[in-house]
Amino acid sequence: MSADDAALETYMLAAMRLAAQADPAPGRLAADAMAALAMRLPGCVVAAPADLTAASGARAGGKPQMHRFAADDTTLDVETTITEGRLEIAGQVSPPPAPDAYVEVRTPHVTKVRVPSPDGQFAVAGLPPGWVSVAYHRPSDPPVVTRWLRVRA
Amino acid sequence: MLFEVHDESIPLDLLDDHAWSELVACFNGPMWAVARAAGLGAADASDAVQGAWLRLVESVDRIRDPRAVGAWLMTTTRREALRLGRKAGQEFPADPPDLYGHPTLAAPDPTTEIVDADYGRTLWSRVSRLSEPCRTMLRLFALNPDVRYAQVAARMHIPVGSVGPTRSRCSAKLRTLLAEDPLEC
Repeated sequence: MSADDAALETYMLAAMRLAAQADPAPGRLAADAMAALAMRLPGCVVAAPADLTAASGARAGGKPQMHRFAADDTTLDVETTITEGRLEIAGQVSPPPAPDAYVEVRTPHVTKVRVPSPDGQFAVAGLPPGWVSVAYHRPSDPPVVTRWLRVRA
Repeated sequence: MLFEVHDESIPLDLLDDHAWSELVACFNGPMWAVARAAGLGAADASDAVQGAWLRLVESVDRIRDPRAVGAWLMTTTRREALRLGRKAGQEFPADPPDLYGHPTLAAPDPTTEIVDADYGRTLWSRVSRLSEPCRTMLRLFALNPDVRYAQVAARMHIPVGSVGPTRSRCSAKLRTLLAEDPLEC
């Protein structure tokens, strides 16, 4: 079966279920979609995964997962770990940050702000597993944000 | 087209809460249906749909054709679903050529326009014309979103390994019926 046929098969099945009202979307899904809009940072620079395979949204499985994102001359390394059902993030921005720079570790429902150390390191714990993105705010340049990454146990 | 853009000259980077909520009301249900039809369980499907919305937020400044947003959302939902499903070891067939590239509005899948209840009703009218085992198999998958291949195999008295290929053949027959008689509902 070709990729096009597989896609068409999926869309046909989805249409049949919509017609049959066989599997309605859960109510919280709309709230999650609305929350996504609040995550927008106008004018930001999106940092793409520098290692596409590693940044594919892997399940952590209790082991730290390393992800590298890059945009312009800035690199963000993000290490994700699930510990006792909560998401921990340890990261580093390069080159070393200016004094007024700060980092937001964002999920659709919780955002935590950290001022990185002089050599660019930061850490956050206690986040809900799921989608996460890091926004690096620089005093003289647009913020750099990583692409959204999904982390589950 | 599922979503009517009132003024196509308005760039999407001016979308406000109201416009976004219209998008959500229009597409959230179909996106959920796509994620589930791609074989995901409820938790993973929720992640796939939310991931597609977040990708839209990432990409909204690059959107030039608001009329393509629906197709883009549906295409992106399926890509995210396939990616997450592959991680979860799901059993539904999937062979996407590039799971890790960033989706762009240049390539939304036009066939996503069929993800619509009206089109679904047309499909149901054709299912009743199919012979067995296709009629039963497609009904099983359409009406039981969490059904597993092993359950279908047991119900239909066929080997588990035959379920996927049979399902694909039945979908192809359904498409053929629709192509032969596209207008009757």
